[in-house]
Amino acid sequence: MRRLGWIALFAALAALPFFLGNYHNDVYRKLLLWITLALGYNFLFGICGQVAFSHFAFYGIGAYSVVILLFQVGLPLPVAAVLGVLVCALLALAVAIPATRLEGFYLALVTLALAQLFIVVLNEGGAVTGGTGGIANYRLPAIFGWRIAGPAYTVVIVALLAATLALLWRLERSWFGRACRAVRDNPEAAAAMGVDVSRIKVIVFTLTSVLAGIAGMVYAFVDNTVNPPIFGLDNAFLLLFMVIVGGAGRHAGAVLGATLLFLLPFWLAPVVGHHHQLVFGALVVAAILVQPKGLVGLWNRFSR
Amino acid sequence: MESILEVRKLIKRFGGLTAVAGLDFDLRQGEILGLIGPNGAGKTTTFNIIAGAERADAGDIRFAGEPILGLPPHEIARRGVMRTFQHNRPFAGMPVVDNVMVGAHTRFRRNPFSPKASREEAEQRARAEALIDFVGLAGLRDADVGTLSFGQGRLLEIARALAGEPRVILFDEPAAGLTGAELERLAGIVRGIAQRGIAVLLIEHDMRFLLPLASRVVVLNFGQRIAEGTASEVRSQRAVMDAYLGDAAAL
Repeated sequence: MRRLGWIALFAALAALPFFLGNYHNDVYRKLLLWITLALGYNFLFGICGQVAFSHFAFYGIGAYSVVILLFQVGLPLPVAAVLGVLVCALLALAVAIPATRLEGFYLALVTLALAQLFIVVLNEGGAVTGGTGGIANYRLPAIFGWRIAGPAYTVVIVALLAATLALLWRLERSWFGRACRAVRDNPEAAAAMGVDVSRIKVIVFTLTSVLAGIAGMVYAFVDNTVNPPIFGLDNAFLLLFMVIVGGAGRHAGAVLGATLLFLLPFWLAPVVGHHHQLVFGALVVAAILVQPKGLVGLWNRFSR
Repeated sequence: MESILEVRKLIKRFGGLTAVAGLDFDLRQGEILGLIGPNGAGKTTTFNIIAGAERADAGDIRFAGEPILGLPPHEIARRGVMRTFQHNRPFAGMPVVDNVMVGAHTRFRRNPFSPKASREEAEQRARAEALIDFVGLAGLRDADVGTLSFGQGRLLEIARALAGEPRVILFDEPAAGLTGAELERLAGIVRGIAQRGIAVLLIEHDMRFLLPLASRVVVLNFGQRIAEGTASEVRSQRAVMDAYLGDAAAL
């Protein structure tokens, strides 16, 4: 029964783009991508308790990797996609293995540095990254003569979201998810219970970074342009805000937070113009001070 | 009876202070061994070294014949030596039953994506619930750990450690902070654990709790064993009285 409900929900999400115009398809695609990103970041930050700022950078690394491998190197799409995943995985391991062996604060610093360094590399990358202007005017290559475009590409993003949610859901409801939360709540007690704390941290950081990278690869063909400002720290913090406002540690929180903070600027624009950041700031402060469990916590409180 | 845990010539120095000075003792299968001694005798340091939380400078520790000294805590737990904490360390973001299931972490065999994973999960949940009942927290399975009293938190520590199916369980001052009624209950639980064939090592200050409970005690002073035997044997020894001078009434 429950399985049927999920299938129906995702069927509806996949059907929706065929009833939307170009503009709304674009908004819808980006909303789906933000939710996908927030789900992965919530697993890393909310469930495993790792404070990292590189999640959005990995989204950019995935996007740039696939574009460079396809159009600068000239590889076929499947090879470029596999190599792109590999780039994200190796980079994540290179950051996680030294950083997670130290205390939490260092992971935050190292990942913040990585996010900044990524932008520098993009700007200084010359012909490879396209410098400050990035790379534009490319199209998704055809697969077996098939070129996915328009609402059909939105369905690809729905599938990405479904796969990400299914993967994280399954993990969270297993011994692995409990070990992650144990690491977050009390690493010393987790170790005494037989949990290899650094191993869990490295696996979760690498897994969620790769998920962000895959989402980035899919994003690369949404705007058909990649450039440095898209992948800056503003969005890295927006992702953190989404998880906090929605309710860290819960999948539903990530979905709610991403949806609210992504759509809020559209509603606020007529009222406050481009100053929606102020409203976001106030929301985050309110969430931390008044309702640390976020919107999901509020819902639980009132539904009892 | 056969030894399950052997500690040999254990040495630990902190700067100029030798906290553990060539300590030897054995923990035998199915017994309740009390490790006692005045403050600063090296009990907690010894405990932490066995559990892998601290390193030793020299010596040897064998569990079931295998050397375990220097292994990380999670590896020692995986092999079957589980511990409780003196200051309760629950996983605050999880209900009671999930806390206990973390204790069973090393007992899971299926990968989370295996079709049989949900059956294994259900089996382990049932085991965790049985352990919650065993320590007397029935009715609190789904409670938020923040709502437990200190004494209930201590019982949760025990259920969580038992979930790892240990062959040795280490108790770090389990009586500390408990009321009289809770102490009686705790003594019953410790006896029940030993009856299951699990060897119990207890570090304890509270002699009125420990002496009737322990099958044997090892008395430490200045990091060395100064006496060993049953409670009544040890009680009559001069060296023990001297070590506890001022605290003799407690014996």
